[in-house]
Amino acid sequence: MTPDLDPVIHAQARLRVVATLNTLAQGDQITFPGLKDLLGMTAGNLSVHLSKLEEAGYVEIVKTHKGRTPVTYVALTRRGRLAFEEYTAAIRELLDTARAPASGDT
Amino acid sequence: MNMDDDELALSPEETLRLIEQQETATVNRIVPDPVPHYLAWGVAWFVGFGMFFLHHGLSGTPYVEIPIGVVLALLFGLMAMAMLVSAMTTWQLRSPVRGASQERGTMYGMAWGFGFFAMWVIAVRFGPLLPAPERSLLWSSLSMLVVALLYMAGGIILSLRPMFVLGAGLAVLNAVGAAAGPGWHALLMSVGAGGGSIVTALVLRRKRRRLRR
Repeated sequence: MTPDLDPVIHAQARLRVVATLNTLAQGDQITFPGLKDLLGMTAGNLSVHLSKLEEAGYVEIVKTHKGRTPVTYVALTRRGRLAFEEYTAAIRELLDTARAPASGDT
Repeated sequence: MNMDDDELALSPEETLRLIEQQETATVNRIVPDPVPHYLAWGVAWFVGFGMFFLHHGLSGTPYVEIPIGVVLALLFGLMAMAMLVSAMTTWQLRSPVRGASQERGTMYGMAWGFGFFAMWVIAVRFGPLLPAPERSLLWSSLSMLVVALLYMAGGIILSLRPMFVLGAGLAVLNAVGAAAGPGWHALLMSVGAGGGSIVTALVLRRKRRRLRR
């Protein structure tokens, strides 16, 4: 039995975005440039992936102002955290089923 | 332009490795390195309380004749330096992260301020009623009590077990030292608190290295 992998997260670039956001404590947000630097992505590329994640309800994007400069904050939603948890559980399951026939241990 | 084109299918192993790498990179970037803080305080306590120990002696006769002014100046100087190291390494003014953990950090920082303010008022009130060696014991045991309590609280808030263990150890040593007298207290704080803080620094450094691997 192979578990279904969430196609929104399974794309490599978005997986890295979600893994990064999941490392933040619950209730924390990161600035768009901060996230961009952590991932080493271009702003355009990151925007595209973020809007796909936002469409799926996995990511929350907050636009605000610091003085006069606009600042964008990004955070994983509760649903996004749950989806990532399910995704990693599914990957681990895949790993276990792939290893099971070869040897009994993990 | 298809943004999903860079997604060559990864094996489950590669996927898990990618997640781990990304988590490690993120932690290293947004969580401050705790090691300089513990090392600086370890050295400050070891040397500062070590001087106190030499000044008081275990039975009340000094081992080395050092004027109390020099001892205090050294202890406070070292503590001021350690405080500077802590502020520089743990205060993240340029952090890209805001939210719940920032709020927790602010409240935790304020707890140190309120804790030491309250302790200072109590020591100022009762200190003058005591003979000199007991007065210095009142100050040092009260301040180490505040440190011990806040380290335990910090360990709980940040779920950092080594920090909690250090705080609990400080609480016990501080109580034993206060009961035994000024010389013993200084010795226990120098070796136990100073040494304990240095050991905690080493434990945390190993933990962080393992995470980085």
